[in-house]
Amino acid sequence: MMDVLYLVGTLVFFGLMLAYVRACEGLGHDADRGEERTP
Amino acid sequence: MTANGWAQIAVYSVALLALTKPMGVYMVKVYDGSMGWLRPVERLLYRMGGIDAEQDQHWTAYTAAMLLFSAASMLLTYVALRLQHVLPFNPQQFPAVVDRQAFETAASFTTNTDWQSYAGESTLSYFSQMSQLAFHNFASAAAGMAVAVALARGIARRSAGRLGNFWSDLVRGTLYILLPLSFVVALVHVQQGGIQNLMPYVDVHTLEGARQTIAMGPVASQEAIKEIGTNGGGFFNANSAHGFENPTPLTNFLQLLEIFLISAGLTWTFGHMVKKQAHGWALWATMYVMFLTGVTTAYWAEARGNPIHAARGIDVVASATQSGGNMEGKEVRFGIANSALYATVTTDASCGCVNSMHDSFTPIGGMVPLINMQLGELIFGGVGAGLYGMLMMVLLTVFIAGLMVGRTPEYLGKKVESREVRMVMLYVLVFPLVILALTGLSVVLPAGLKGLNNAGPHGLTEILYAFTSTPANNGSAFAGLTGTTYYYNTLFGFATLIGRFAMQVPLLAAAGFLAEKRIAPESAGTFPVTTPLFVVLLISVIVIVGALTFFPAWSLGPIVEHLLMQSGRLF
Repeated sequence: MMDVLYLVGTLVFFGLMLAYVRACEGLGHDADRGEERTP
Repeated sequence: MTANGWAQIAVYSVALLALTKPMGVYMVKVYDGSMGWLRPVERLLYRMGGIDAEQDQHWTAYTAAMLLFSAASMLLTYVALRLQHVLPFNPQQFPAVVDRQAFETAASFTTNTDWQSYAGESTLSYFSQMSQLAFHNFASAAAGMAVAVALARGIARRSAGRLGNFWSDLVRGTLYILLPLSFVVALVHVQQGGIQNLMPYVDVHTLEGARQTIAMGPVASQEAIKEIGTNGGGFFNANSAHGFENPTPLTNFLQLLEIFLISAGLTWTFGHMVKKQAHGWALWATMYVMFLTGVTTAYWAEARGNPIHAARGIDVVASATQSGGNMEGKEVRFGIANSALYATVTTDASCGCVNSMHDSFTPIGGMVPLINMQLGELIFGGVGAGLYGMLMMVLLTVFIAGLMVGRTPEYLGKKVESREVRMVMLYVLVFPLVILALTGLSVVLPAGLKGLNNAGPHGLTEILYAFTSTPANNGSAFAGLTGTTYYYNTLFGFATLIGRFAMQVPLLAAAGFLAEKRIAPESAGTFPVTTPLFVVLLISVIVIVGALTFFPAWSLGPIVEHLLMQSGRLF
């Protein structure tokens, strides 16, 4: 049971990191277009 | 403090300076692809992996490759540790590693941390040590160097966000740098008395008639990459205080050099890549000044010792027949100077191997390793990690300098704008968030306090040190904290992962954004990055960021412990 939790936890973590890559890319584009200044 | 101690620190400094350029020149050739003496092996590896080494990857693809490689190798290690009892090279017939320790160990070695909540000689088979831990010692170090080189490329060139090829950087770093160096160093260790065998453990009878089991194993080969790759995971529980891991003063000196060798060389490599060699040396100087400050403080504190000893009539003065000062937890053969130097070097870098027990240092002496890690391990730092950590601080410094003079910040001809600064701030904030949140949680939860062996400020320092060492990917332990519980093993495992990857992602994003920018020629408004003023400003930013974040924790831990020690109270 714990083995499954640790393996799934690892996969979820790296999945989140891949999503983080997309989020950082999105933040960069927003800033590039000046959208961060939008109220 | 003695003249002999200072002489050893001076010789070490000169040797490091002398090796920086040769190492840097060699790494330039490795990463630009002009080094080819192992080209057939390199090509074979690319063919086996189906890799197009010429493909210039966008930063998102580069980062994804690094993440997927790390995830796959970590899962493989978890499975191998859980199945070690049915795998070969297990002469002591060790059972499977328990689930929580298998997770923590897999995460820890994948992230170059090498935090160990087990004793290697009583837990791991030779197969687990050689095939899993040694593999990560090479791969995690090569991955860290690859990330640093990718950031350097992002700063040095305009390439539509492309940073090179992760797979070729990984292979070249391993093949041309880590493997040859480790091979030579392992032979030196064997010559000096380190062991390298696959024998079962040896039972002997001592002179007193007792029976003692002497652990064996392929130690020298792992010892080499332990320091060269700034991994730090010991084959034995005593790490570099063990006679088989660090047999002589010469191996001790070489280990210290091995830890800083690649990181120091990378400052030269970076200077060459950005065509501003003086800037590379300015980074080296920044690191060296901070290193010297740390080692001076630690050496002073340990040589001064515990005033309570002197008050009770114990002779604590250094003389021809004794070291004086605080020798608790130190090897007599290394003494105070080499213990303070080793503790400083191993925590300046993300190495974490130890030749003395940091928990036995005086409060100020023990605070030095803690601060070194909390500043981000950028004082030479881990292989690759030290340089990229320092470069993130440089971007922050240039940004602040730009704000001070009212100009758009610019670094080596590239404008530093809001999206780069956003990534720098994500990089800077993740680290203290993990350390302080998990430390705070652990000092109030019963599960956290359950593992604590010391009360008062020393106990707080033990927890703070553990939650600093793991996300900093250092791996050294302050000791005094029983980390073999589901609570600690699981949190330490995730702390190492967050400290590595949640920081590398925004860093590579910043590299990618910089790689999209054109390089403008320097103007009168460009902030110079080669002058003593730059070095002072950079050190100030690093210290202010670290001090503002962690000073409350230091004051409740080692500083108050130091003050209480002066009044005669120990913990």
